Amino acid sequence: MAEEAKKRVMVVDDAALVRLYYRDTLEHAGFHVDEALNGLEALEKLLTAPVALLIVDINMPQMDGLTFVDAVRRREMPLASTPALITSTEGGAQDFAAARAAGANFYLVKPVTRERLLEVTAMLCGTAA
Amino acid sequence: MPLIRKPAGSSSPPSRDPVSVRTALTSGTDDERWAAARAAPDMPEGVDALGDALATEHSTRVREAIFTSLARICTARSVERVVPYLRSDDASLRTGALDALRAMKTVVGPYLPRLLHDEDADIRLLACELARNLPSEEATRLLCGLLDSERESNVCSAAVEVLAEVGGREALPVLERCADRFRGTAFLEFSIRITVDRIRAQSSPPRE
Amino acid sequence: MSELPAITEEELRRLCDFLYRRTGMVFTEAKRYYVERRVFERMAATGSGTFASYFARLRSDAEGEVEYFVNAFTVNETYFYREDHQLRCLTAELLADRLRLKGQEHAIRIWSVPCSTGEEPYSIAIWLLENWPMVDKYEIEIVGSDIDTGVLERARSGVFGKRALMRLSPYLVEKYFAPAGFETWKILDDLRNSVRFSRVNIVEPAETRPHGQFDVIFCRNVLIYFDDASRRVAAENLYENLAPGGYICLGHSESMSRITPLFEVRRFADAIVYQRTVGEPHG
Repeated sequence: MAEEAKKRVMVVDDAALVRLYYRDTLEHAGFHVDEALNGLEALEKLLTAPVALLIVDINMPQMDGLTFVDAVRRREMPLASTPALITSTEGGAQDFAAARAAGANFYLVKPVTRERLLEVTAMLCGTAA
Repeated sequence: MPLIRKPAGSSSPPSRDPVSVRTALTSGTDDERWAAARAAPDMPEGVDALGDALATEHSTRVREAIFTSLARICTARSVERVVPYLRSDDASLRTGALDALRAMKTVVGPYLPRLLHDEDADIRLLACELARNLPSEEATRLLCGLLDSERESNVCSAAVEVLAEVGGREALPVLERCADRFRGTAFLEFSIRITVDRIRAQSSPPRE
Repeated sequence: MSELPAITEEELRRLCDFLYRRTGMVFTEAKRYYVERRVFERMAATGSGTFASYFARLRSDAEGEVEYFVNAFTVNETYFYREDHQLRCLTAELLADRLRLKGQEHAIRIWSVPCSTGEEPYSIAIWLLENWPMVDKYEIEIVGSDIDTGVLERARSGVFGKRALMRLSPYLVEKYFAPAGFETWKILDDLRNSVRFSRVNIVEPAETRPHGQFDVIFCRNVLIYFDDASRRVAAENLYENLAPGGYICLGHSESMSRITPLFEVRRFADAIVYQRTVGEPHG
């Protein structure tokens, strides 16, 4: 697949092995993957290169994932409308509600299988799985 | 020449009356609460006033200043006042608490064995991150102790993530046992494999 | 003959993961050779016989090892017009933005901290005189501060050698400096007297507060090397020293993402800078 035609996703998670696992899975399926360790770094990188999808953890240093998604939604367009998928170990009803309130589009509870990650990523990016 | 030079200014010293700092921490403008949070470490009972204020503070920057001050105090008491916020439903409070505990690495050590065996899996998971700031041998020992009895795959993953940085060869059998117990959990199997490879590939000391 | 210690690829990955987490710097495959070389240099300098013992040192930041390691990858030499993309951003965007917010009555205040031997604050002065069309319409106050009184004395003296001036055109050297000996120049008194120098430890609010609030702060290559607690205190001090809406610029390889959430990131054509927003950060 030509480089320009690849959909770009950003994985925002402070665990290096999670980022590696998602990168492995998504690159294999033809996505271009950017990374950030927390919401602050993600915001900074997004200003330089917008993405088709944000895949975001909740518990990260300096800025948690929900505050990050909320911050994205408050920025200028088109950045503000970037789809956001929360993948988190937190799986309680209050976490789903908080994610929705922050502006997340979808929520997956960890551990996430490769198949499920690809399925949801494709759906949110508007590509075939 | 548009460039000008002015004499150095001076600032009025912050209020040193303990009663007004406790009150200022929970009332007044954002700027006043911010100033009070920053001045609190110099006040008697500042640690408790700060810990109490966290329960009701809604401004992100004032909260940040409160956590910074607790981290500066850096005593057993400041650890004890911060730890409960790891249990908060509010993600930003959890993040603030964890960041503050990370900054208190010289005093948080004694609390880790208890946190790593807390009945709440979320606490055990966050505590794994705190082990990262310990010397490698101690961190490996604590995380291996957790792994052998841990039932939650997410907590195991958090421990394995840190072992990827600090783990020594003594972690290898524990990791293999963990992989056996969690066959079929794709991400954990992946993490363990990477971590085992990393530990195995450590160089040997040079010949003399 | 003793062998060079062997470092495996996995060990390098461990080190790079650690540095990325700690500083935000990414060491790609392309830089691998340089990283490995730096590891060898630092192992030798610290008498570390094995990678494991060196990595333990780096992880604990013993004697400031993180800074020593990273030094090789950041531009540390101080000279005039270093990181001029930030100076361009200053005149192209930041000042206009500040003036829109505060109007004409007040002086523009700019802080260079740490200022070392003065190249940075004097560069700002020269850049503004040369590149800002509005320079005669406003009062501009430039302050340079450092923790080291020795470098401050040299800054006040305004004397510089060839290397410090290497990015300046002969026109600028001729215009703003007078020869002061063999390959030595002294900045003109007008300019020298217009920058105030002060000693400050940016971790001490009692020392930073008296400086007042600035429109733009340049704080390069120092915050990222502090320990967790000191980094936060210093960031909070600098926040207080920024006027609401004011900007802070870090070093090229630094990011606020490893320091504090207090500032909001802004991207301009020439630089990424951070802003103390008027309301809550990210609010």
